Amino acid sequence: MVFEMKHITKTYDSVVANDDVSLHLNRGEILSIVGENGAGKSTIMKILYGLERPDCGEIYVNGKLCRFHDPSDAMAAGIGMVQQHFMLFEQMTVAENIVFKNELRKGPFMDMKATVDTVRQISERYELKIDPLARIADCPVGLRQRVEILKILYQNAEIIIFDEPSAVLTPLEVDALLETIRGLAKAGKSIVLITHKLQEVMAVSDRVYVMRQGKVVAERMAGETDIAELAMLMVGHPLASYEIEPPKPGATLLETKGLKLVENGREVLSDVSLHVNAGEIVGIAGVSGNGQSELIRCITGLEKAMGGQVLVGGKDMTNRSVREIRDAGLAHISEDRYVWGSAPEGSLEENVLMARQDEMPYSRRGIMRPKAIREYAARLIGDFNVKASSPAQKMRELSGGNAQKLIVAREMSLDTPVLICCEPTRGIDIGAMEAIHSRMLQRRQDGAAILLVSSELTEIMSLSDRIYVIFEGRIVGEFQRGSMDDKHLGLLMVGGSIEHGQ
Amino acid sequence: MDNERNWKRALLGVVDIVTQPLIAVLISFLLGAVVILVIGKNPLLAYGEMIRGAFGKQVYLMNTLKRATPIIMGGLAVCIAWRSGYEAMGGEGQMILGAVAAALVGYYLPLPGWLRVLAAMLAAAAAGAVYSMFSGWLFERFDVTFVISTLMLNYIANYFAAYLCNYPLRDPEANVYQMQNAQTGKLPESVALPPVMKGWVHWGFVLAVLAVVVTWFLFRKTSFGYKSRMGGLNPRFALYGGVNARRMLYLVMLLSGVMAGLGGSFEVLGSKSRYVDQMIFSTGYAWTGMVAALLANMNPIGTLLASVLLAGLAVGGSTMMLNMDIPLEVCNIIEGIITLFMSARMIRIVAGNLRRRKRAKGGEAA
Amino acid sequence: MTYLAQVINSTIREITPILLVALCAGVCSKVQVFNIALEGTLLMSAFFAFLTHYFLHNIFLSIAVAMVVAMGMTLIMSFFIVRLKGQPMIVGMALNTFARGFTTFLLSVIFKTKGAVNPSDLKGLTKFDLPGIKQIPFLSTVFGSLTVIDYLAFVMAIVMFVIMYRTVIGFRLRALGINKSAASSLGINVPRYQILATTLSGSMIGLAGCLLSLGRNAMFIQDISGARGYVALAANNLCKGHPLGAMISSALFGFTTALARSLQGTAIRQQLLQCIPYIATIAAMAFYNAYAKAKSKRRNRGL
Repeated sequence: MVFEMKHITKTYDSVVANDDVSLHLNRGEILSIVGENGAGKSTIMKILYGLERPDCGEIYVNGKLCRFHDPSDAMAAGIGMVQQHFMLFEQMTVAENIVFKNELRKGPFMDMKATVDTVRQISERYELKIDPLARIADCPVGLRQRVEILKILYQNAEIIIFDEPSAVLTPLEVDALLETIRGLAKAGKSIVLITHKLQEVMAVSDRVYVMRQGKVVAERMAGETDIAELAMLMVGHPLASYEIEPPKPGATLLETKGLKLVENGREVLSDVSLHVNAGEIVGIAGVSGNGQSELIRCITGLEKAMGGQVLVGGKDMTNRSVREIRDAGLAHISEDRYVWGSAPEGSLEENVLMARQDEMPYSRRGIMRPKAIREYAARLIGDFNVKASSPAQKMRELSGGNAQKLIVAREMSLDTPVLICCEPTRGIDIGAMEAIHSRMLQRRQDGAAILLVSSELTEIMSLSDRIYVIFEGRIVGEFQRGSMDDKHLGLLMVGGSIEHGQ
Repeated sequence: MDNERNWKRALLGVVDIVTQPLIAVLISFLLGAVVILVIGKNPLLAYGEMIRGAFGKQVYLMNTLKRATPIIMGGLAVCIAWRSGYEAMGGEGQMILGAVAAALVGYYLPLPGWLRVLAAMLAAAAAGAVYSMFSGWLFERFDVTFVISTLMLNYIANYFAAYLCNYPLRDPEANVYQMQNAQTGKLPESVALPPVMKGWVHWGFVLAVLAVVVTWFLFRKTSFGYKSRMGGLNPRFALYGGVNARRMLYLVMLLSGVMAGLGGSFEVLGSKSRYVDQMIFSTGYAWTGMVAALLANMNPIGTLLASVLLAGLAVGGSTMMLNMDIPLEVCNIIEGIITLFMSARMIRIVAGNLRRRKRAKGGEAA
Repeated sequence: MTYLAQVINSTIREITPILLVALCAGVCSKVQVFNIALEGTLLMSAFFAFLTHYFLHNIFLSIAVAMVVAMGMTLIMSFFIVRLKGQPMIVGMALNTFARGFTTFLLSVIFKTKGAVNPSDLKGLTKFDLPGIKQIPFLSTVFGSLTVIDYLAFVMAIVMFVIMYRTVIGFRLRALGINKSAASSLGINVPRYQILATTLSGSMIGLAGCLLSLGRNAMFIQDISGARGYVALAANNLCKGHPLGAMISSALFGFTTALARSLQGTAIRQQLLQCIPYIATIAAMAFYNAYAKAKSKRRNRGL
């Protein structure tokens, strides 16, 4: 047994994140911890890694009682963690990132030659290819993750924690990652894999813990269980599946023609043409960072396209202001709820009012009408089951799922013919996700044209009537519902093609 | 349980708002007392003098209100810009140009009395607005940060005003041999903001209070206020919601500049009757206004109160200087320390630390 | 020719205080502590350098005191920003207000004046001549009556470059400035690094302060820093915190100030001349940003 955690409890204010959790890891084993978002699996690993301190409970590493005050204690005990959000210094090189905190030095100076050599050696030993002198900013996501893994290997970690490692990867990169994980275990490292993707769990792990609402609810050997059972245990009830009526597409409400955008000398959008008809949901599948965000920003007026056209409801809206485009009948659930979609320090009322501030009855000749605003906010909160104590509460006090529901409520109640949904369910629990999905399908039935951008392939596949695949700013494929399979899509998403036959 | 939590949170909020200024003021006066002790004076007597000199008699109180007038306007300029997310500090330069413009128009424009006053105020507002919008333009067009552009523009305005009142606009009747700051010609009696009543403060103060109300109304009750506030809280959110960021920037800078410019004109029309070299720069009206706005957490009405208090500090300080021979700058020291201790959200941080420590202890005990 | 040499000489003397302050600003910006207390720090250290020298007649002690005062001010600044999460702009302005009040207060208490103190019997920093330079006609004026600290300023720029870009500690500082949470996830105590780095770099402002009050003759004038702290902030903004770049950007501001001074006594009025360095600061930043924008636009068009 390389580590054991006993009776760990952790609360944040009044939320119990971990409730009497006990688990252990054996040498050379690949252990998975699965659970929904908010089940407490990240918290327990943060405690093991010294990022959080438990309220009570004990941690033993190699049989010795440990108390970690910060990550360096955990590292000293041989524990390393590949975080979900990469912890890298963008403007520095791969080698510099790997040696940070344990630099090779010549007196007070950096020994760059030895650094590069050492990094190269480790990368060869574990067969993780990288260029030590490349800048992180120029590395794709898969490579960045490799740098994170190498960083931990460089620190001689014996226990490696992966926190949702596949969330940002393409299907091919996921395969490579799983291969790496197996290799590490074979080399004698002990692995903890935190994820909610059950296929991966079944593919690599030896043993699985299932967490729900802060508790460990089950422990299974991988050979003795299957995806269906794990899913049941995770959610606590069988999953609902959508009944989707056949689409009744109408007129084209949103269209782009040959959209083009260049940033920092790189073409981020080239010749993007697509259309969305009334009464259909059109998905854009792609690995994040392939131009989806820029495409949406160009359509919604947040960025100026350098060529091409955007038509909303048949009217040319290319490079018009956000206001004009919204007035032409477009609403937009933004990809990041706190960066674009809300003002976390503002009240719920203020957040709900956005885009309607100049409309009757909420304001008249520039004077606001607080009563109407409050009623409107209360109505949306009620209609969309947002758990909030009052409309005057601050946005940041809402949980992620409730904040997202409020944003969805705001944009959907604008009742526009065109609706853009970017990552509408990122990082929220299944209940909120189902609610948002059924609202989207409802709007589709009502004849809205919906453009859905998501990095979750399953979300795109289950909701869309048509799918465009985007890769490096180009549309590289278009599929109708039923004529697509995820292998083929996955291949296109990473730039493969049928001719290459990869 | 939930009710109790809400109640606690509300209480903590009130504590947060009220306690911090009190503690900041207390600490700064304590440190000020140390300074006074060091030079061998009695701090209690000194503070007594200060309070008496600021609020003790009607004359003193009126003096305080007179001094508060430009401070309020400078504070409003900061409130308007900062609440909208533009951390501009150009109030000083705008106020200087406003004062010069008022002195210039008031002196030369051949209009009957009250029209000339109005024209002078308009000119001051315009001068402040243009200067303020210029820094907005530098920001929008060239990404020159507000901190640097406005600080530089303050110095430029002050030197330019010094040039004007030393040469082209110099008072023709000034005595060349007299050792004093250069000044522009004295405005005629009729071109002034007269006292509200005999022995009272001039109308400028009333206008400043009016400006406070207008600002409050703008922020609380209009969609302009909503949009600028959202822009301040999260500029991307405002953009995403269809707020025209460019227009808001210029509108906000315009308003902020108008306030500062008017502040300068009130000082000229209500008090000095001319522009005297360094009259805004050396008194630090704009900076004090900024401190006031900060003490009030960018709330216009709070800014009014804080401005009066800070003006009292300065006016009382001069009494203290005259009667006890303590340099006036004690007030600047106190002002600096208040600002410093207001900058951090200390109450919350200290409380948070205590709570965490308590919890950690509880954790270890369990 | 002599005139040119004099202009260059006065340019150098204008550059060095700004350069030293800009180097400190560079460290602060690299570790993400926004420091506009530079101005007040400079003023305080200039004052205390003068005060120590006035009473103790010891130049080394004066320099030491100035450095300690500057480090103290910077420590307060970074403590309030990093530990107490104060708004950097307000912390800085508070310290500047304090410094202005405090120096003027002591000036009037000790010297009974609010203007200038210029005791004729007090000598400034010792002048340092490069060996053999006296004989060379042009260069002797160019490098005439410079102090050790003037030379030290340029040496410091190179030293700071080596520290920031070649040593382990500099590497860590730059890295944590890029991504604080990444650094702390590896167990680096980010606040401690930030406070230590800024405080130590504050000592350079102390040197700059000595140059102001003891550089030519020993004297102190109210507000002697004259916005040099802000100008240095702008200079640092232009060179993006690079110590060698700071030499160039400070040179720009030093030159405009020297130019303004050398034009004194011509037809242009003094007050207008005094505006030149500030106008140049804004213009330089605007031009630089416009140039960078245009460049990236060209790159985007070219594709």
